[in-house]
Amino acid sequence: MAEEIVKSPMPGIIKSIDVAVGDQVNEGDTLLILEAMKMENPIVAPVGGRISEVSISQGQSVKGGDRLIVIES
Amino acid sequence: MDMKSGLEELSRRREKALQMGGKANIDRQHQRGHLTARERIHKLLDPGTFSEVGILNQSDIHAMEDKAPADGNIAGFGKIDGRTVLVYAADRTVLAGVEGRVGTFAKETRATRIAVEKGYPIITMGDGGGARIPDIMGSDGLSSMTFPAEGLRYPRKTPFVATIMGDCFGGPSWMAGKADFVVMVKGCCMAVSGPRVLEIAMGEKITPEELGGWELHAEVTGQVDAFAEDDEHCLRIVREFLSYMPSNCDEEPPYVPTQDPSDRKVDEVMDILPDDLNRSYDMYKIIAAIVDDGKYFPIKPYYDQSLIICLARMNGMTVGIVANQPSFFAGAAGPGACEKAASFIVLCDSFNIPLIFLHDTPGFFVGHEAEKRKMPGRIMVWMEALALSTVPKISIVVRKSYGMAYSNMAGTNCGADFLVAWPTADISFMAPRTGVNVVYRPVIEAAENPEAERERLLKEWEYQNAPWKAAAKHLIDDVIEPRDTREFINKSLDILRGSGRGFISKKYLQAWPTVL
Repeated sequence: MAEEIVKSPMPGIIKSIDVAVGDQVNEGDTLLILEAMKMENPIVAPVGGRISEVSISQGQSVKGGDRLIVIES
Repeated sequence: MDMKSGLEELSRRREKALQMGGKANIDRQHQRGHLTARERIHKLLDPGTFSEVGILNQSDIHAMEDKAPADGNIAGFGKIDGRTVLVYAADRTVLAGVEGRVGTFAKETRATRIAVEKGYPIITMGDGGGARIPDIMGSDGLSSMTFPAEGLRYPRKTPFVATIMGDCFGGPSWMAGKADFVVMVKGCCMAVSGPRVLEIAMGEKITPEELGGWELHAEVTGQVDAFAEDDEHCLRIVREFLSYMPSNCDEEPPYVPTQDPSDRKVDEVMDILPDDLNRSYDMYKIIAAIVDDGKYFPIKPYYDQSLIICLARMNGMTVGIVANQPSFFAGAAGPGACEKAASFIVLCDSFNIPLIFLHDTPGFFVGHEAEKRKMPGRIMVWMEALALSTVPKISIVVRKSYGMAYSNMAGTNCGADFLVAWPTADISFMAPRTGVNVVYRPVIEAAENPEAERERLLKEWEYQNAPWKAAAKHLIDDVIEPRDTREFINKSLDILRGSGRGFISKKYLQAWPTVL
């Protein structure tokens, strides 16, 4: 079983989170919305699998490279 | 020497050269996960096409003659997809791949002269730590191994590709610094001097990876254009890059027939582009929808990702695409994106590749960090490159295009031959909400219901920014249906090909540096 760590591509604020631990996701599903420079950026699942960790909470500020979500595939 | 013994001697010398640095060194190269220089050349070129130059070379230093087969740098002509190229490959198994006076200077100078005169691309494969000691020692040594001006007097006559296939310092790094396209194998290093020299000279302790590893060049310096998992992958990338390039600056890139219809409707772009102006999407998906067979070749993909530069084909002809990427920093180009755009315009113009611009940008990336990196200068270098380029240019406003960035993306009067918008275009000197707040603050504050007044002004502003006014005054050429974008570009390219010189540019940018 492989772990895929989804990291933040840039600094921003977590506007909403669409998944919870235990959810099954397919590749391309939206995991959360990262707001950066007034733009809402959907962060999508790079692989399909089960969400094993949600490292952030709504409204939280993140930096580029921060750990957001872990998917077990 | 009589013929028989002469032939024997020739055969012995050739055989010795083919042994390179000997079995132990070859095994070590393989154990490190790399190919030898000769294996690289054979994998790069079409089978059986290699004609070697200088196989009998050796060191000109007394008592070193036998230690440097081909003087550590294997060179020759061969073919890639049936087109002739010149290739040099540093031989890591010979004295650690360092550059000898004979192999690097005498041999390369002569072969390069032929390649440039006949119009062949040049590929140099770096794998070593600069000039050889003792060759470069002393005033006579260094004076005999300067970077010859002649090697820099052929600005973009033929495409010049450099690979970094081992830890490279000095010479191979200079080659990458002047190359039109650089590929690096992950795990290698490219820098001026190695960590050992740094530690002795500066007391600085640093790993090769930190000093010049792939991630540094991918994300921070932008000096490398593409990254490979291993040597074979690197060579495939070189072949693919050259498939988009002409052999030289007097030719158009090769035509690659496609089954993809030139008037194919691209309905899928409607699903990719969100209705909400503040929702991002992946511009690569729009590019893939438009180009031949969904295939594109990204350049510097990890460096300032707010801007995409890539090669692709339209109706079989190479095009260069400059596109804002809304999913990174909203598509606001920073200093790195400016460098990317300018150097890509120079590359495409020099090798007769038409340019296509896709706008979706809220303006340039502003702020203290960007200003410290000379934003006004970089914005204008991009504009100058755009203004001096003479290949056909087609510019399409997909969604936002605000402020100076509209000019840089080949907006009105900025050099586009055809400039059109999608109906979703939003063209303005500033983002609507910011603009309303800046321009109408007194009006909003004085209103009975400021919020309602702000929303009313915002609606009006959005109407003003729609492409209709610009189209009505012929400040843009047209508004097109997004699904017709591929057909529009192909028809435009056909018109812009003209009846004379085709896509051959006037090359005002040919002598610009490769690193901007």
